[in-house]
Amino acid sequence: MKVTPRTPAGLALRHAVAFHDTTDDLLAQAVPLVREALDRGERVALTVPGVVEQAIRGAVGSAELVSLAPAVPPVSSVSGAAEGSGQTTAALRGRELRMLCRDEPAVTVVAVHDERLDGADGSYWTELDAALNVAVADLDVTMVCFYPSYPLHLEVLEGARANHALLLAGGELRENPAHRCPVEVLRSRPAQSPVVLGPPDLRLTYNSWQLHDVRGAVETAVGLVGFERARGEDLVLAVNEVATNAVEHGTADAELCLWASPTELVCEVHDGGTLGERLPGLKAPHPKDPRGRGVWIARQLCDLLHVWRDASGTHVRMHARP
Amino acid sequence: MGSALQCSHEHLSRSANGGDALVGATDELTSADHACAVPVSDEQLWELTAAFLAAGLARGEKVYYFDDGTSDAVLGRLVDDRVPVAGPLRRGQLEIVTSDVTRGAFHAPLPAVQELLNSYIDLSERDGWAGFRMTGQMSYGAARPAGIPLSSYDAVLDEVVRKRDSARALCLYDRTRYTDEQIEEMRAVHRAEVTAPAAYDDGLLRITRTGLGRARLAGEIDHSNRPMITTLLLGDLDKVLRAPNAPNDIVLNLASLRFLDVTTAVSMVQVAEGFPDTHRLVLTGVRPRVQRVFDRCGAAFARQLAIEELPEPGVAEEEDPE
Repeated sequence: MKVTPRTPAGLALRHAVAFHDTTDDLLAQAVPLVREALDRGERVALTVPGVVEQAIRGAVGSAELVSLAPAVPPVSSVSGAAEGSGQTTAALRGRELRMLCRDEPAVTVVAVHDERLDGADGSYWTELDAALNVAVADLDVTMVCFYPSYPLHLEVLEGARANHALLLAGGELRENPAHRCPVEVLRSRPAQSPVVLGPPDLRLTYNSWQLHDVRGAVETAVGLVGFERARGEDLVLAVNEVATNAVEHGTADAELCLWASPTELVCEVHDGGTLGERLPGLKAPHPKDPRGRGVWIARQLCDLLHVWRDASGTHVRMHARP
Repeated sequence: MGSALQCSHEHLSRSANGGDALVGATDELTSADHACAVPVSDEQLWELTAAFLAAGLARGEKVYYFDDGTSDAVLGRLVDDRVPVAGPLRRGQLEIVTSDVTRGAFHAPLPAVQELLNSYIDLSERDGWAGFRMTGQMSYGAARPAGIPLSSYDAVLDEVVRKRDSARALCLYDRTRYTDEQIEEMRAVHRAEVTAPAAYDDGLLRITRTGLGRARLAGEIDHSNRPMITTLLLGDLDKVLRAPNAPNDIVLNLASLRFLDVTTAVSMVQVAEGFPDTHRLVLTGVRPRVQRVFDRCGAAFARQLAIEELPEPGVAEEEDPE
């Protein structure tokens, strides 16, 4: 079989938002959605709080529902905080849903806002939904995201309105007039910088001819953290890909920072360039695409990969745990 | 015997001092040979050392490697070359002289060194080995720890080897551990020099041709040297297509390739897909770490790309005659 040229994949994702006032209100809207999807023979996946999941499962009886992986990250031993990253969750959802869609004709996902991931301003959700619009755009998925009508942060509401092409109202999915494309959303609400870490265990400035030194530094660090051999080698590959991007598309010189604890490795790559694609590595690459695969693979290999931009350039933070 | 003896590309040239011994390739050093080599990279150092040791093992000689932190790399290269190592080590045919002893020799007076060398050769003859050969990492001596120049130690070695018919020695002066001045001084006192030309060697990646449409890659491929790979593949394909009765496979031995980045893997897959239908790209001895990169880059779907994984070291050991 020859690898055929890439044909542009159409937008298959139906990304909808629904607002609710109470848990009962949420269930009153979500349960019929789930029932209808099951009646259509679709696979239904949930990423909802435990109490909501229990209620939905109780309402649909013995029907098999898929629980997606929790998005709440463990507390980082390096930063001391649970570092939520909307783009990382989107990459995770992309991986899960791509697997589901391989075996199922269509998938419906019910997602519910979780305030534990709001962070300082709720922008996690804006980033997540914008990133989902990129990561799973080509999948035959109906994703209905439930948000509270009155969230703690206004940002949650504004992001939800902007990121969803459809709006659930009166039990029907209608066009959302406030919807904007992810590029536009991310231009006005760029990915946030993560929690600032202390001085790194290692800081290394490198150029295109010193990527070997970058790999050597990471190789040493994964040995200290105690990753299994294959996992450690994969992390070296992940950092190499991000580090390569920095000097290939950013600036001639870039910087690697490493933090290693007994339970975690954190790497940051900084360059002075302006990344054209705001959230790289979210789209699954086609085999014919010569480029763009490195960061996508890096996202698959790291527990967290967060890209952000500021006045000083483009930055990537990666977390990995054994 | 494996690729360690496929060193027909290696040549011995007359040394700078115009000595009278012109002998064959590394594996063809005759008795009483004492040659030097000046590797331009670590990859060439491991290649030359492993080939020299492997030739001695194949001839039933007692083989000594004087270690100074380099034996792991040398043994690793022997394994890459499918040379049985565990058996010879167990039987005492291959002996790794510890770094302490190697360095200690450079604190000893010259007569004591001469006595030590003679005792090694006596022992190998007494134990019935077909000959004696030695090489190793002697760069510690270049700093003259006992105030004695390295050339004086070399003169002792030369005298011992010349008087003992069964003895061979290869002195290695690599450019990363010796200064240019030291190298030229040591070159001048050797009767012969082993050279091993490469198609490409940048210190990170070494490419050696092993036949029409065949090459061996050792080291690492990243952003800094990846253009060489496409050039190599397309050049080889051109030669193969033009040569009468040429094989239909371009074969790259990757046994000593320790790292490959994603873009290179993608480009190799795509170049193979661009081959005429009659031809294939065959990658042999691929390490698990490199294999995983190919797996993630769509190699399984490329009909004209064949990948043969590196067998476990134990497989080569089965061929080891006891």
